[in-house]
Amino acid sequence: MDMFSPYSNLSMGATPLHIPDEDLAKFESFSQQQQQNNVYLPKQMTYPPPPMMMSHMSQQPQTPVFVPMVPAVPEVHTPAIDASPMMAMTPMDSSILPQLQNIVSTVNLNCKLDLKKIALHARNAEYNPKRFAAVIMRIREPRTTALIFSSGKMVCTGAKSEDDSRLAARKYARIIQKLGFNAKFLDFKIQNMVGSCDVKFPIRLEGLVLTHCKFSSYEPELFPGLIYRMVKPRIVLLIFVSGKVVLTGAKVRKEIYDAFDNIFPILKSFKKS
Amino acid sequence: MSYQLYRNTTIGNTLQESLDELISYGQITPQLALKVLVQFDKSINSALSNKVKSRISFKASKLNTYRFCDNVWTLMLNDVEFREVHEFAKVDKIKIVACDGKSSYNDLEK
Repeated sequence: MDMFSPYSNLSMGATPLHIPDEDLAKFESFSQQQQQNNVYLPKQMTYPPPPMMMSHMSQQPQTPVFVPMVPAVPEVHTPAIDASPMMAMTPMDSSILPQLQNIVSTVNLNCKLDLKKIALHARNAEYNPKRFAAVIMRIREPRTTALIFSSGKMVCTGAKSEDDSRLAARKYARIIQKLGFNAKFLDFKIQNMVGSCDVKFPIRLEGLVLTHCKFSSYEPELFPGLIYRMVKPRIVLLIFVSGKVVLTGAKVRKEIYDAFDNIFPILKSFKKS
Repeated sequence: MSYQLYRNTTIGNTLQESLDELISYGQITPQLALKVLVQFDKSINSALSNKVKSRISFKASKLNTYRFCDNVWTLMLNDVEFREVHEFAKVDKIKIVACDGKSSYNDLEK
């Protein structure tokens, strides 16, 4: 039963993101400009775009904003606010933090498996070799689905956190062990993470696709969202008119958060008025 | 071959008892009895799919476990309510074994 012993890697999720005060300052000054003008002017984009974007936008002057932020910063770091992880992670916009929706992980049980035996003896298993060469098994806690292949490789999907994904994979491995297979737990790896959030304002996708054409594809007749392929971090974002954003392709949680921190000022500049 | 799951019903068991009796009296051969049972499997499958018109609806509060293997669904349900027009029945748990009616019907054609 030591398979269920606590494990503590992959717990980076709680690491607060560091966002330099300088950026915060830039952002605040940007919002001020926005309020004054109430019109989007691309040249005034003050938030530093991701490095790759810099190259093709370098002719645009990076507005040298340095607003003295010293008095404002202590306010942001009042203990009450720091206590809330939500606030600590996104100082730019107090309440938005992408929520993890799905995590896909793989693990090698390192033994050949008789799938029919597993399907016949385990609960909540489906095995239809005519359609798919794996047993599909589900557990309720953590609510996940596993694909179990005869090679001993397993894919675990549906978990909402890294720890849940690992715990679920271990539970599946334990079920396989209890059926009499010599299952190990090797090379556990998180392969993909999906997050989503809502910026709570509508976005002009037509404007966004024009100015970020190197990274964006927006074909409303094919798909209603704009597909934004960020280069650093390497994350794909689906951005919808409604302000809902889906972020995918991450191997670690921080990439989702970083990608959202990069895209949020851009989205704000394309807010529908 | 049709599914043999209706052999273990009242009508199936009665048929088997009668056949056993006939065999013990030497009135039919075991081979003939087997042939009758195979025909029974085919007939009951086609009769249930073609001739039975009555309907019953049921609702469970929870699907406890499920399994799909060899084209057979096995479902374990909790707190199941059965409803016909005037009748009502409630059970704590029930096991449903469901086979593909189409494939057994195709087997019938062959």
